[in-house]
Amino acid sequence: MEGECHFLEGNKRAKMWVDYTKGLLEESGIAPDRLKMFNLSSSMAPKFKEVVEEMVEVAKKLGPTKIEKKAA
Amino acid sequence: MIVAERKPFEEIKAMIEGCKKVLIVGCGECVSVCMAGGEKEVQILASQLRLAFEEEGKKLEAGETTLERQCDKEYLEEIKDKVDDYDAVISMACGAGVQFLAEMYDSKPVYPALNTQFIGVAEREGEWSERCRACSDCVLAETGGICPVAICPKGLLNGPCGGTNDGKCELSKEKDCAWTLIYNRLDKLGKLDNIRKIFPAKKYSVQTTPGRRIHEAFKEKE
Ligand code: SF4
Ligand code: SF4
Repeated sequence: MEGECHFLEGNKRAKMWVDYTKGLLEESGIAPDRLKMFNLSSSMAPKFKEVVEEMVEVAKKLGPTKIEKKAA
Repeated sequence: MIVAERKPFEEIKAMIEGCKKVLIVGCGECVSVCMAGGEKEVQILASQLRLAFEEEGKKLEAGETTLERQCDKEYLEEIKDKVDDYDAVISMACGAGVQFLAEMYDSKPVYPALNTQFIGVAEREGEWSERCRACSDCVLAETGGICPVAICPKGLLNGPCGGTNDGKCELSKEKDCAWTLIYNRLDKLGKLDNIRKIFPAKKYSVQTTPGRRIHEAFKEKE
């Protein structure tokens, strides 16, 4: 949970960088809602499922970007 | 170090309007340390530009490279075989680096990605403050190691002015009064007498523009 990271302040710093990165996406014309940070521990499978579903909904609502898919 | 910040994305994007291939060149010194123009920031800018162009249905090839420094020719030469392949170069160095790069590759448009701000220090991670204005006539010996030129907004050599207020500057409650800092430091050093010394008018004549320095050993002897 926030502030209770295995790496001490790690998840607070990650949050700071995620917020910053949302700004970078917005500048580039990509909806910042496509990125969101959640704090979960490895034993929170049901919550993980919820989170994934939430992000799938976000992606569906926003639809595809114009960015070309690169063949892997 | 020289402290800079990245220009707004829209401004950079507008500079390269119409380009299909740009080379983004970072600098491995000061601007890397202040997280404005190092390798990581080159990657971020390149990615952002590619995304933004694609979102507008255009294509941009953004090359990425970061040099040791951009203020030395030997490092700038490292990109000589690459530059010709691009429509333009974006330099993420300080203003000096941008100019040196533009001088060496003078048939290529070279654009600055940063706004160069000041000579300063890292206060803590992610925060820098100005400490020197490069006045060419340093007075730190008399002022307890605190620069009145850079830290006092009026650059007063014989401060404080009448506006000093509880250790804060009259221009902003956020700013410490440089001359209160100097007073306290001199007190700590047992050199409070220095505060009575009157500095003569500053020798602005030594602050030649543009500044130029030749190391003693490199001066041509008569
Ligand atoms: S007096 Fe201040 S501005 Fe001048 S060289 Fe010294 S630190 Fe820099
Ligand atoms: S209050 Fe202090 S720092 Fe501000 S202008 Fe006056 S002398 Fe300079």
